[in-house]
Amino acid sequence: MDQKITTRIPRFSAAERITHWMAALCFLYTALTGLSMWSRKLFWIATIFGGGETVRALHPWGGLLFSAALGIMFLRWRKRMAVDADDIAWLKQSHKYATNVKEGLPEVGEFNGGQKMLFWMQTVFTLLLLVTGAVLWFPSEMPSALRLGAVLLHPLAAIGSIGGIIVHIYMGTAAVPGALRSMTRGYVSEEWAAAHHPKWLRQIPKS
Amino acid sequence: MSQTVAKLIDTTLCIGCKACEVACQEWNDQEFTLGTFGGTYQTMPSLASNFWNLIKFNEIERDGQLSWLMSKYQCMHCADAGCMRACPAPGAIVRLENGTVDFAHDNCIGCGYCITGCPFDVPRLSPVTKKVYKCTLCSDRTAVGLTPACIKTCPTNCLTFGSRDELLRMAESRAEELKSDGHKDAGVYNPEGVGGTNVLYVLKESSNPQLYGLPKDPQIPWTVALWKGPVKWLGTAVMLGGILGTFFHFIRYGPKDHD
Repeated sequence: MDQKITTRIPRFSAAERITHWMAALCFLYTALTGLSMWSRKLFWIATIFGGGETVRALHPWGGLLFSAALGIMFLRWRKRMAVDADDIAWLKQSHKYATNVKEGLPEVGEFNGGQKMLFWMQTVFTLLLLVTGAVLWFPSEMPSALRLGAVLLHPLAAIGSIGGIIVHIYMGTAAVPGALRSMTRGYVSEEWAAAHHPKWLRQIPKS
Repeated sequence: MSQTVAKLIDTTLCIGCKACEVACQEWNDQEFTLGTFGGTYQTMPSLASNFWNLIKFNEIERDGQLSWLMSKYQCMHCADAGCMRACPAPGAIVRLENGTVDFAHDNCIGCGYCITGCPFDVPRLSPVTKKVYKCTLCSDRTAVGLTPACIKTCPTNCLTFGSRDELLRMAESRAEELKSDGHKDAGVYNPEGVGGTNVLYVLKESSNPQLYGLPKDPQIPWTVALWKGPVKWLGTAVMLGGILGTFFHFIRYGPKDHD
């Protein structure tokens, strides 16, 4: 992976990369401050971020910014993230992908079934977090029934979202060398594209 | 080791003078914010962040006659307190040695989770300080051996303060007295669902506490119990499992090299 890349295949535009990292930073802030208010044992995280009152005041804004960044990603990628028959077949064989078995997996397009799952998971969880978060933001104004639902759904959606992101970070860094560069510098090597996204590579017009 | 204290409210003796409301405002140095007039004798429709003790004039009709069932609405100082269960800030809600549930405002972050955790709808978020307030059982008075302000001022002995065990006995014998006077439904309100409360009531109509604005069988809401119980284990499992799982996955299978 460290050898010189001869052919640079553009994968993510500057706008896509900036949006992704905006979302990533907001996620990091919102998830950590959220955890600090989730358990008294994690309250020390609030101290790092300026104390409980600051965290209580800013966590909702972090969530709003994250939702906005994710909203942009949703609008930009939703068509490219549509799950097709190949993705379903791939997902059914995903245990092979997870154990690095190359045989028996359908060819992957721009995104594989797992990436698409993450995209739709985060979309649903973020929507849930946004709605329940709005309820928790203004406890005095919200009826008790809504708050009682929100205190349960907000952490559940957050757990799903954080769980997905842990796997996402692993896949994007250690597990798939070359993936991180596609999101930092924006390009991949031809060999990388051929190995991980062959169907996509064939669709790119040769320059 | 100090004993658990309690407040006994004999609702049959309340004359609705509201002296306890005034005493509470005075002692706690709170300004009175005018509420809405709802056509009743009540001072306010409900509690507020700067109004911790409300005498309710519950109107009922009996044999074509209008009647008041008086009750006092304030923090119940539950043995199993929903506000404490819900609070994320260490030391923001504390239980004093005498059983009082008290808010330590230096540690309160103003999230308002206690409002959702409370089965009695008592804590109120102040829009000014962004912190939550409620009756302290006059912890600053009881700490130096004084009785709470509302009790000190009550002119009819409707309110009594003292050892919880003793007050429970008093309450029971008062309920018996009411029964022998013909009030067959008289009884003590000390809900078991929250482990008992440090505010006890003698009610003439004890099988219908709702008539007094008191919940029939208050419990810590089940969503709050789930959130602070199994959901925490689930979250810990997912997050720790995710981190450890991906790490050991890498150790076992290594990166997906493309050559």
